[in-house]
Amino acid sequence: MAFRKIFTQHIQKKTCHTMAFYKKHGGYEQAKAALSKRKKPDALIDLVKASNLRGRGGAGFPTGVKWGFVPKATDKPKYLVVNADESEPGTFKDRLIMEKCPHLLLEGILICCKAVGIETAYIYIRGEFVFATERLQKAIDEAYDEGFLGNNALGSGQRIDVTVHRGAGAYICGEETGMLTSLEGDRGNPKLKPPFPAIEGVFGCPTVVNNVETLANLPYILEIGADAYRAIGPENSPGPKLFCVSGHVENPGTFELPMGVPLRTLIDKHAGGVWKGRKLKAVIPGGSSAHVLTADECDVAMDIESLAAAGTMLGSAGVIVMDETTCMVDAMLNVMRFYHHESCGQCTPCREGTGWLAKITHRIAHGEGRMEDLDLIQDVCDRMVGKTICALADAAAFPAESIVKKFKSDFESAIQNGGSPAWKKRHPSVVGGTASHA
Amino acid sequence: MPDIKTPTTRWTLNGQEVENTSGMTILEAANEHGVEIPCFCYHPGLSIAGNCRICMVESNRSPKPVISCSERIADGLEIETESEVAVDARNSVMEFQLINHPLDCPVCDKAGECILQDHSYSHGPDRSRFIEDKNIRHTKELGPTISIWGNRCIVCTRCTRFCDEISGTSELCIVERGDRSVVDVFPGIPIDNQMAGNTVDICPVGALISHDFKFEARVWNMERKDSVCGGCSRGCNIEVETLDGFVKRLMPRENQDVNDWWMCDEGRYGWRHLYSDDRVLEARGPSGPLDSSRSITAFIEILDNSPRVAFLIDPFLTCEELHLVHALASSSSDSLVGGWLPDQGAAAEFPAGFKISADKHPNRNGAEQIFGHQVFGEDASQLQSALNDRSIDTIVAFCGGPGSDGPGQEWSAALAKASTRVLFSVQEGNWLDGATLVFPATAPLEKEGTWVSEDDRLQRTRSCWKPGEAPFPSELVFLQSLQSALGTRSRSLSAAGIFRELSEVCAPFADHNHSDIGSLGLLLSDRPTGVGAGGGA
Repeated sequence: MAFRKIFTQHIQKKTCHTMAFYKKHGGYEQAKAALSKRKKPDALIDLVKASNLRGRGGAGFPTGVKWGFVPKATDKPKYLVVNADESEPGTFKDRLIMEKCPHLLLEGILICCKAVGIETAYIYIRGEFVFATERLQKAIDEAYDEGFLGNNALGSGQRIDVTVHRGAGAYICGEETGMLTSLEGDRGNPKLKPPFPAIEGVFGCPTVVNNVETLANLPYILEIGADAYRAIGPENSPGPKLFCVSGHVENPGTFELPMGVPLRTLIDKHAGGVWKGRKLKAVIPGGSSAHVLTADECDVAMDIESLAAAGTMLGSAGVIVMDETTCMVDAMLNVMRFYHHESCGQCTPCREGTGWLAKITHRIAHGEGRMEDLDLIQDVCDRMVGKTICALADAAAFPAESIVKKFKSDFESAIQNGGSPAWKKRHPSVVGGTASHA
Repeated sequence: MPDIKTPTTRWTLNGQEVENTSGMTILEAANEHGVEIPCFCYHPGLSIAGNCRICMVESNRSPKPVISCSERIADGLEIETESEVAVDARNSVMEFQLINHPLDCPVCDKAGECILQDHSYSHGPDRSRFIEDKNIRHTKELGPTISIWGNRCIVCTRCTRFCDEISGTSELCIVERGDRSVVDVFPGIPIDNQMAGNTVDICPVGALISHDFKFEARVWNMERKDSVCGGCSRGCNIEVETLDGFVKRLMPRENQDVNDWWMCDEGRYGWRHLYSDDRVLEARGPSGPLDSSRSITAFIEILDNSPRVAFLIDPFLTCEELHLVHALASSSSDSLVGGWLPDQGAAAEFPAGFKISADKHPNRNGAEQIFGHQVFGEDASQLQSALNDRSIDTIVAFCGGPGSDGPGQEWSAALAKASTRVLFSVQEGNWLDGATLVFPATAPLEKEGTWVSEDDRLQRTRSCWKPGEAPFPSELVFLQSLQSALGTRSRSLSAAGIFRELSEVCAPFADHNHSDIGSLGLLLSDRPTGVGAGGGA
């Protein structure tokens, strides 16, 4: 079967985001079928389990299994919280869905709500996504007008309400429990697990947290069935996938391809290859939290298992390409500054570790590095990984330890030659280091 | 009570199979077996935050170390607290805690009782690998009694959780993120709740500093005595901390039946009057100061020459002191006893159950047990009328209390009508004008003895005075000397001895003694069931 694009098929059309356009192209048919009285919720969960749909937010957890954790018999209301706080550096796929095909997401939400028995869904959207918020809200209004949402969603007798909630600019609120705390109105600190959100999530009630792209896959799974869906890409992590390619390529952008596309094909064919005829130096394949790959390691398929086997992760599929002129010390400083800025400060290893890593990297980049700093970075990373409430510490440590390990010569050169090339260029007269540790 | 079997869990702690009540956390359960796991953010009175990460231990159920304050024991669970993984995890956290923490222990008030300092001795590296500039965070007043020294803050959120959960006032919050995070108040809203001082106690480091104790003493130089707060009739258990016999600080002492881990600010800071300039410190007669023997002679002379003597007691007197007054009153025929009460204050109850009583006295209950339930009621009215219509002209009055205004206007006026007045007073005041004899009285923190709280809890209060260095004879000592001089006492006793006498003659106290009361007190209704039963201290 030829690969059919489900997200980007119509994005060139000016009206692709409207209800009229979506309905003309078969929109909401799957949701109607799913919400019909004949359809049993369990059958939907089983279908999604059988499809092997894996979460698209970064962790890749099987979606059907996650739904299955929600208790069937409970007096409490159940909630769906859609993670639209897309803030992983190098990632811009959910934004495209919300701007270009918001109804696809809403249809996915309807299907999920039916399967799990949910009446209230929140879309927690990144605050900076003003345009996406407008488009999404317009789509929701259209869906209410049509009776697709509301007290009698799609005539099913089930109430399904969707509310958009805008975040206020914190990366940590994209972490599922940080997002729930923020949605509750508190400072967005991640929560201790257990209890997991499926048991005790937002407002203390059972909650499904799914990524935008994950939910947008659902109508397609219902349309073609689990077997056909599993046949797209590798069986254990199948489906159409949005890959975001940024950095030193001729044609950066979001590309919809089957899961498991070779990384080389993605960069060389779809993204137009490394720019200016330069050579590839490094690739971060799954958003800045992933381990970096060297040019030699790039013969890898872009799917969850293959990338895990290569010692990194698919993550959010934000592919950041760096050419041969990139100083990896500066690259790391950029990433470390980000995590230092975004750590919520709750857990000691992350609060202190992210700042420490940023300071050491800053010092090396600015000509005051010591050879022993390289071992120190590795050790600080070891001491951060797996010791915190959420994965932000890991997300900071993974790129740090892999960049230092795989591009040691860049660091040695910065230490021996009084700083990174870019810094020396800006400060030509400085001999040795005069770094201030801001 | 039928023997209800609590479900237990068998698990393995450091290679040894152990058993605990099901549902406990690893940290609590390990503690029961004498295995102490370090912690910062964990406090038994607060919700679990799990953010400091110092309590990580190795578990057979997790590839990563788990935090023992939050994980619960389960059958078959195997926990190692001293394995390489566990020790390394703790050492990691200690290194992280210390990199931005100032090494200002020499000037930090928390030094000596700082959990970070303690753990840094046991788990910290002896030198730092951190050569960067340390972070600077704000130092500022958060309220009238508390300041934050931000550089020391380890963001454990004990204080913010206290204000959210215990006082219910939510003044404190964490501002900023990452290693800029620090405790603060909301703009324009200081922390001034009635329990605010507790946040300083539970701060594991010297980040929250009490203005009252700042730079007052090094904690290791202070002596500590278990005592009871005399600020109201709740009877919160406290620790009185003294330096050279002078009170420097009051701290709450855990008692789950009374005050949990807390005390109110009114009680905590209400001790300065002990050292006010207008304390009565020596006995005096109309013509000036009297030494101990002359003051006793003068007192006896008054008792001998008065046809009828009345006694006015205060509700700050201990049961032991009251017993001695009772004996004295009983020895003279036709005596009248009444008591005065201080004005009612405001009662308060907090979300977690902590209470402040409106009754601002510690021992009304005890006095009523000894003198009968009308001692502050009808007896008192009778006494007041007798004074006002001058049918009594000799009165012995106790005008105690913390920083008191004496017995109040009404009683002061009534007392003034007696031609012979023997007054015991903590402080100078107009109620002493024209007194025949004035004796110094002990304030609540200076008393040695027992009080009965509003919940019928018999508790021991201890004197802050250095043994053998009493600035004046306490009522307990003086009244016994008086009895000896009168020939009604053969030897002087400690408070415990007087209590024994009391328990022999006063039914509510029967079968109790000081050592049974222990450090946590007992209910008057709790009868010891056999020899050696009870608390025992």
